[in-house]
Amino acid sequence: MSTETEAPTIKTEIPTDGQTAASDELPSKGVASPPVFTARDLTVYYGDFRAVGDVNLDIGEREITAFIGPSGCGKSTILRCFNRMNDLIDIARIEGSLLYHDIDLYDPEVDPVAVRRRIGMVFQKPNPFPKSIYDNVAYGPRIAGVKGSMDDLVEESLIGAGLWAEVKDRLGSSALGLSGGQQQRLCIARAIAVSPDVLLMDEPCSALDPIATGTIEELMKEMKNEYTIVIVTHNMQQAARVSDRTAFFTAEADEATGQRRGKLVEYDETSLIFSNPNDDRTEAYITGRFG
Amino acid sequence: MSNTAKTSATGRPSLGSLQKRRTADVKGQVFLGLLLLAVGLAVAMVLAVLFSVIVDGLDVLGSRLWSFLSNPSSSDPEKAGVVQGIRGSLLIAAIVSVVAFPIGIGAAIYLEEYAEDNTFTRLIEVAVRNLAGVPSIVYGLLGLAVFVQSLRGITGGSSVISGGLTLSLLVLPIVIITASEAIRAVPSSLSDGAYGLGATQWEVIRTQILPAALPGILTGAVLSIARALGEAAPLLVVGAAAFYTTGFQGFLDQFQGAFTALPMNVANFAKLPADNWAGHAAAASVVVLVVVFFINLVAIIARARITKKLGR
Amino acid sequence: MTATTSSRPAAARAATWTPVLPTVISRGAAALVEVLLYLVLTIGVAIVEYYVAGPFTDFGPSNWWIGFVIMAAWTGWHWAGAQGPVGSYVDHYIADLDGMPACFSCIAVRQLTRFGVLFGLPFLILDSNVVLAVALAVVSGAMIAFTPDRRAPWDLIAGTVISQSLAGETTRTLPILTKPSDLQLSNQRVAENKRARRVLQSAGVSSIVVSGLIVWSIFSEAWEFVAASDFSWGLLRDIGWFPRRDKFDLSTLFVGTLWITGIAMLVAGPVGLGVAIYLSEYAKPKVRSIVKPAIETLASIPSVVLGFFAISFISPSVLKPGGSVFGIDFGIFSLLSAGIAVGILTVPIVASISEDAMRAVPQELREASYGLGARPVTTSLRVVFPAALSGISAAFIVGISRAIGETMVVFIAAGGSGGAIFEADPTKPGQTITAAMASLGAGTDSVAGSGIAFQSLYFLGALLFIITLVLNVASDAIVRRFRQVY
Repeated sequence: MSTETEAPTIKTEIPTDGQTAASDELPSKGVASPPVFTARDLTVYYGDFRAVGDVNLDIGEREITAFIGPSGCGKSTILRCFNRMNDLIDIARIEGSLLYHDIDLYDPEVDPVAVRRRIGMVFQKPNPFPKSIYDNVAYGPRIAGVKGSMDDLVEESLIGAGLWAEVKDRLGSSALGLSGGQQQRLCIARAIAVSPDVLLMDEPCSALDPIATGTIEELMKEMKNEYTIVIVTHNMQQAARVSDRTAFFTAEADEATGQRRGKLVEYDETSLIFSNPNDDRTEAYITGRFG
Repeated sequence: MSNTAKTSATGRPSLGSLQKRRTADVKGQVFLGLLLLAVGLAVAMVLAVLFSVIVDGLDVLGSRLWSFLSNPSSSDPEKAGVVQGIRGSLLIAAIVSVVAFPIGIGAAIYLEEYAEDNTFTRLIEVAVRNLAGVPSIVYGLLGLAVFVQSLRGITGGSSVISGGLTLSLLVLPIVIITASEAIRAVPSSLSDGAYGLGATQWEVIRTQILPAALPGILTGAVLSIARALGEAAPLLVVGAAAFYTTGFQGFLDQFQGAFTALPMNVANFAKLPADNWAGHAAAASVVVLVVVFFINLVAIIARARITKKLGR
Repeated sequence: MTATTSSRPAAARAATWTPVLPTVISRGAAALVEVLLYLVLTIGVAIVEYYVAGPFTDFGPSNWWIGFVIMAAWTGWHWAGAQGPVGSYVDHYIADLDGMPACFSCIAVRQLTRFGVLFGLPFLILDSNVVLAVALAVVSGAMIAFTPDRRAPWDLIAGTVISQSLAGETTRTLPILTKPSDLQLSNQRVAENKRARRVLQSAGVSSIVVSGLIVWSIFSEAWEFVAASDFSWGLLRDIGWFPRRDKFDLSTLFVGTLWITGIAMLVAGPVGLGVAIYLSEYAKPKVRSIVKPAIETLASIPSVVLGFFAISFISPSVLKPGGSVFGIDFGIFSLLSAGIAVGILTVPIVASISEDAMRAVPQELREASYGLGARPVTTSLRVVFPAALSGISAAFIVGISRAIGETMVVFIAAGGSGGAIFEADPTKPGQTITAAMASLGAGTDSVAGSGIAFQSLYFLGALLFIITLVLNVASDAIVRRFRQVY
């Protein structure tokens, strides 16, 4: 079992014709090369606690990759490695390698702040700044040193997040007056305003109602043309609806210490994961037998 | 105490058992009475202090308000005034804002945002908390030893600089604690959001944390000014003068020469024979109270306005 | 333009470039609206002038000027906030095309506009008042200039046209990453970040140095008192506290301090606790919003004022009549009077910390108790009070610490200025540690050279420091434990 799961990317090279109409231009089901991210034996420790270990996966360009799994399985922790948000936690520590376009993200020469500018993040709870809608979107470019007017950039970003029509008459009013779904789309607009390469989304819809969730899912499908998206979700239907690939994580008790720690069980095209999972645990999870 | 419903023979509660009790809840009434007595006493204390001081001060304030505010100290009760105290208090407030605010707020940001969470940091936090509880007169001793004696060349001995610096040290822990609390209350989602957009730590602090914490920081700062303006004990030890004559004062003399402050005026008047001077002590008290309450009011209004402006 | 701004693929960018003509038209319309508004304003001014000052003979520059002043103010104000009617007509935000300066001429035009020259020029021609024209132009221009990202439509028209004609379409892509150092920040931002850290760190360090300084200066001087040649421990037992005559009886000061503290807590304990329970468990929000600020007012009254209150009100109006009933003769100065005043000062401390402790008790506990049919009195005393007990004891300890450290009230109202004979009767004048220090300090200059009297000041300071430190650490420890429970 463990040998299988340690190199899940190998599995994805088994051809399954006809099952995935969406990836016509990818005859091999392997991630289109070059991948945006390449994780090898990625392990995260919180102090002495090994939160999630030995993750091996490639993330393809302009795809939506979903991380699913029960709570505590480390999917968010892995996601936060991708833009080095884990650096903000004093006790977090990384082992293994994580390449971003062939550059080691944890190279000493790499500045985590510069990483986060190329790899944006949308958080679980909408967290607009207590400023105007305009200033929220303009925040990222401003701190990056863009001078002068940002009206068009703001407009473009809001259009990109599907929010322009709703807010164009009140750009100067407080972002906190928006509804939850609008706030989350504002956060997406804010993230794309710095023209990132990748968008990481940490359960972006968990605080939203089904209609707002649907809007954001539509938005994600459109944004796929320009961005690589990695989304963590606890909602399996969401993963099935929007993602091209799905990674299933789970948490298992360590025999030595008894602590529950996360691991990557299976990573494959979404259609395969949901129709014909290789691993019993994946099947048990997606059919609702546990989690 | 026990309020179990009496049940009828069938096991169903009777209507009577669910009705309001007719017998008075004596214990509860007595308890509530005691509480109200305590609240009444506390409010009575406030009113008694304010009214007695105002009534006593009305004599002086009513007959010669302007000359009381604009005259220097004098041995003649008809001429004595508090202008030196007002000037001293203003200078002290200025020194405190220039010295204690930047250092205190800076230290708070450092402790909350930069300092690693280790034993040393925790030790500092405990030290700061306990320094806030050290009696103010002990700070006076510090001022006497350091500013008045060791640094006499700079401060000019018992001067408004010494007094102001001493009171700056006194309010420093208060500024640090209130600013720390305000910073800690900023939700981490804000700083996460900014970090996620590629902001450096300083940019996160400058653009997110400080603006969000500003109402709390400002309130703490203004209240600590009020505290500094009400303190007399440290100034007594540092050597605020009871009486001094004001001749022509050059710029430096204003800072390095003899000084006094409004609370010192109150203490000095109160120490004089009551027959002639009680009214002056009360009048000076009213002036102190007006100043302190005004500053508190400013803090409340500023807080409300900033909070509103930030849309929260 | 700057290397920091990368953008999407060219295709996405090009899409936003195509509707440039409509933008120019709408911006031009906005600029025309401004001119029309100006004309309307000026005519309005003339009409008002007609009714106020009678038939006018000359529709001359003065009306144009008044209109211009109004326009300049309006423009500066509204364009700055982008809230004006014309602003909303052109979708609020009008600027040059890609969010940054496109070409040199565009920047030049903008800078001219920012200082209001474009606005001012026509009027310079119309009217000869150059100084006023320039002043107004600068004011209106500066108001626009100091709010970046927003500006008046003239600028936009010019900027749009010029950047369109001179600047070709630019295609930009994300810079290609080849080595780890490509993922670095600009030196300026890194340096700024480091500088901020250094400055803040030095603030943190200096506040620590100050704390060390306090302890060091006080204890070193206190040690001089103990180490002085004419000091012996026997000196600390005498007929009273007269430092200038080398009589340092500590028991005088301790008894005085104990009385003050005890009396103060007798006043502040029940009243403060009662207020806290009432505010936390009984008071309706409206009552609370009145009572709480009133109690907090007490906290902001300077202690000198309460010292004066003790000798002007408590002693003559409360203790004297009260004492005559029991045959006790109160003077103006007594430990009891000072103790009550200190108690009044301590009430808000006990009340607010206890209230915080009780409000921190989870609502579920109260609901559980009410759910079992308990009354408010039972819930308060049997559920909330025990749960908040550690917080409440911390409140009492802080109150005691504050009462011990209170100086001015005792200095003014307890009567022991200069020195005091040992006195155990609280109805008589007495001396506390703090008041003894204040008395010594009040005459600093005369004390400074005279033997160890001056050092005794620091000895007392060190004692006081240790006592309050122990109390504060104790309350801190209690609160800490209490936090862990929930």
